[in-house]
Amino acid sequence: MTLKKFAVTFALGSIALLTAGARVSTAQSHVNSPDPLLGTPSVATETSQVNGLTGHAEEGKHQYRRFCIGCHGPDGNGQGMNAQWIDPQPRDFTEATFKCRSTPTGTLPTDEDLFNAITRGFVTTNMPSWRPLNPQQRADLVAFIKTWSPRWAKEKPGAVLNIPPETAVTIESILHGRELFQKLECWKCHGPEGHADGPSASTLTDSKGNPIKPFNFSTGERFMCGDSNRDLYRIFMTGLDGSPMPSFADVIQPNDAWDLVHFLRTLQVALPNNQELTLWQSYKAAHGKDLKPIGPDSAGGAQ
Amino acid sequence: MRMKFFAALGFTVAMGSALMVFATPPPAGSGSITGKVTYTGTPMKMKPIDMSKEPSCAKQHATPITTENVATGQGNTLEWVVVYISAGDEGTTTPSQGVRYDQKGCQYLPHVLTMLAGQQLQIYNDDQTSHNIHPLAKVNQEWNKSQPPGSPPIDTKWDKPEFIAVKCNIHPWMHGYFAVLKTSHVSVTGEDGTFDIKGLAPGKYTVTAWQEQYGTKTQDVTVGAGAATANFVFTATPY
Amino acid sequence: MSTKFREGANPMNTKWSRWKTIWTCAFLLIAIVLCDARAASALPTGKVMALPMFARKYGLPCSACHTAWPELNNFGQVFRDNGYQLMNDRDSPIWQNPSYFPISFRITPSWHRESTTNQAFDSVPGNGDGLGVGTLTQAGFDLSGMDLWSGGTLYKNISFILLPSSDPTAVWHFESAFIRFDNLWHSPWLNVKFGRFELDNLISEKRFLFLSANGGLYQIYHFNVPGSINNFGYGDNQIGVELAGHSANSYTRYSVSMLSSNEGGVNFTTDVVPGGSPSNRTYDVNLAFSQAFNAPGPPGESGFGLERVGAFAYIGQRPTNFETELGTQLVGINNKPFYRIGFAGDLSYKNLELMPLFMYGHDNPYLGQFGVPAGSTLPAGAQAPTFYGGFLEAHYYFNPQNVALARFEQINVGQQAISPSVSGVSGSNGNITAVSFGYRWYPIMFSRAGVALDGEFSRVRTIGQEPESGNGSGFIGNPTAAVWSNSIYFGIDFDF
Repeated sequence: MTLKKFAVTFALGSIALLTAGARVSTAQSHVNSPDPLLGTPSVATETSQVNGLTGHAEEGKHQYRRFCIGCHGPDGNGQGMNAQWIDPQPRDFTEATFKCRSTPTGTLPTDEDLFNAITRGFVTTNMPSWRPLNPQQRADLVAFIKTWSPRWAKEKPGAVLNIPPETAVTIESILHGRELFQKLECWKCHGPEGHADGPSASTLTDSKGNPIKPFNFSTGERFMCGDSNRDLYRIFMTGLDGSPMPSFADVIQPNDAWDLVHFLRTLQVALPNNQELTLWQSYKAAHGKDLKPIGPDSAGGAQ
Repeated sequence: MRMKFFAALGFTVAMGSALMVFATPPPAGSGSITGKVTYTGTPMKMKPIDMSKEPSCAKQHATPITTENVATGQGNTLEWVVVYISAGDEGTTTPSQGVRYDQKGCQYLPHVLTMLAGQQLQIYNDDQTSHNIHPLAKVNQEWNKSQPPGSPPIDTKWDKPEFIAVKCNIHPWMHGYFAVLKTSHVSVTGEDGTFDIKGLAPGKYTVTAWQEQYGTKTQDVTVGAGAATANFVFTATPY
Repeated sequence: MSTKFREGANPMNTKWSRWKTIWTCAFLLIAIVLCDARAASALPTGKVMALPMFARKYGLPCSACHTAWPELNNFGQVFRDNGYQLMNDRDSPIWQNPSYFPISFRITPSWHRESTTNQAFDSVPGNGDGLGVGTLTQAGFDLSGMDLWSGGTLYKNISFILLPSSDPTAVWHFESAFIRFDNLWHSPWLNVKFGRFELDNLISEKRFLFLSANGGLYQIYHFNVPGSINNFGYGDNQIGVELAGHSANSYTRYSVSMLSSNEGGVNFTTDVVPGGSPSNRTYDVNLAFSQAFNAPGPPGESGFGLERVGAFAYIGQRPTNFETELGTQLVGINNKPFYRIGFAGDLSYKNLELMPLFMYGHDNPYLGQFGVPAGSTLPAGAQAPTFYGGFLEAHYYFNPQNVALARFEQINVGQQAISPSVSGVSGSNGNITAVSFGYRWYPIMFSRAGVALDGEFSRVRTIGQEPESGNGSGFIGNPTAAVWSNSIYFGIDFDF
């Protein structure tokens, strides 16, 4: 008897709590509705389409407030309360400039690009992998992030870079990639050995004027925008907008790009199971003395 | 709606034809605004640029070039100041010709390039080294492209008016500006600090002078049949 | 309940006024919920973190890892499963500013009121007759114990926790202290933890949101059948070694641990918990597995969230006798087994979280008989003490800073240590029914510190036994009647 009463009280109490909760939460269901923690996004709402999921900005707003606000800030401008301690600085969503894109430089990334960035995180920064959030939550976040800039309402993402099938890893491919590394001046920032110590490395700033370091191939196992050869291909072809890393899409042919990928892999001396490196090391053991070192001295020879 | 569209189309075609027929001189008045841009105070010193890290560029300059943030001439004149009509007759619409921007000797030529929003812009690499062109646009969309020697020019345009700083991350001393305007009535001061905005119909204008380090100054000018005068004086600071 | 003493001033005294009180409290809570939710949205508040040492290290808000601290969300679960690492290139302590120290403090000043019926006390204060039976009410300001957390990485993939914990009088013990080797052979499925730690409970009592005397524990995590000499509590931290693993997103998790049955006491013959039952030197095993999946919502909506279900089993032994020297107990011998099995869930429906748990406990008949060593004849009617029960806890998150809580718990004794037909004691002796309501508001949730205001009401009914919370005089007035114990609690929980 008493147990029954307990159960009834519990049920009624819970229902009352939930009803109260529902009232509060429905009041927050619109992106532009006032929230003391969030500024006003520049567009009312957005959706995202990722892998068959539809993301809703109204839901993403709650996720943003829970997970993102500390760094990216209540106004989406990358000035959250932790931002001052973070290097590189958190992304400013109001500019709609993103590093990891499959689209040409100067264009908006696809929803999938943003989704992948959230999922993967950026290993060289404070941005963690948000894979623990379920795909729907991540899709919702993509939709909400897009409300911070009016560009999303006006423009379409650029055309996705077409990545042809990878060519065979051969020593010729690596050698040609090495020539490109010299000719395209990659070493000016990334250094002749990929140690991030090129002559311009110390002068680099991002587009907001904050100092930024080039990627150090010799220590880094993973890249900011992924860890596969295709990711590496995409990174230099589309460039990392907002950073000093330019797009090479207009100046490298697809096959040449794979050659460059294969050469860049040989710089990753800390990466385990690195077939390009193995091939390269055996070649270097035999022909190392014939190789012209990369750098200013061989500037004429590489052309 | 549809009628309006055709009317607009007809008008545009007519205007276009008119432009083609009368070619270069804009169909405007004969008035002009001339003047000189000077500074008071002490401007920052322009430093010589060390290009030893890029020998192919260094050898193109007998004497090292200097930075150009505050380029000055004899008599406290300011070079590379963009003087343009910010209100009043704003001149023509989209011009037929594009403008050219060069990277030569690891330097942007010209240092400040004016263009209309929507005007075709071609960027050339005349050097024997790779550059990356990185316009730090805020209103427009920022981009960043590599341009190795021998590449075709980059063909682009800017949609919205903005003063866009341009840099090359590989050669950190390279520094220039795109002055994207919505008026064709514009003049950039030379080393003597003078400018000359031509082809103005009589009337009242607001003239703005923009200097990359010191910002803008504005004044109202009434243009008659001849040349009106407007001088600008910036306050220079040594930092 | 005894009607011998009626204290008119005590609203808990009659059945009717008891319910009036419950309803009043329920409505008060609702009022608090409504007011707080409004008030909270008007305040210039920030964001949250439970172990601000991690918040400081990574610059994330509390709410990134916690539904409401200290309870973890899946992101926090993955972080914990990875050995307090985000798995980026900044986990190793070498990335931290040299002045960074991985330490957090937590304590909760509070006001509370406990009122327990059916308690024996002296009929006239000081006469020592113990004949009085009635309600004992205690109220006042208090402190919780203090947690002095330290934790983090010693190196990439080597992590640790060191948690000295004190009671309010600053008597210290090591609540948790372990080192963990993470991602062995680059696999998230292999992690080894060594030291004293909490069992891999799907519903953690160490991370839950209740603080009051009656509400501040899961009754079933500490329950033993009356008369059983078993001292095991599923919610208590254990000492041993754990092999655990998880999928990349921690949707699938397992844990196998081998634990010392003396709970880490350095002295074999005394328990680490002062006044507890004697200890042992056998090993226990705990197994836990859970699987989470996404619940899709109606078409065009964003889904309900993450649903996790899991099962657990604990198999252990306790001594029925001791080797002695001049009567002093040395080492537990004649061990007899017991086990606990159950399943639990952590289910979400958008902002509503539901956490059901069911557990069945079984002790060897000898464990129910104090002073009867294994092998000797059991007394008449002796049988294996068993119990079953569980709880359903509900959380409603208005936003990351406001959460309403409710819990209902019921435990029934399945078999008494001695059959009721022999002992004459009711078969329901020891049964527990508990209900708790609470509300937590986190006005400060920075990545440097957190403050939570905690209000709770909890009510427990225990048949013929002292409540698990230990409230009251410790002596039951009428052993056949129920003991009702209420807690009202208000605390300010802070950590930095």
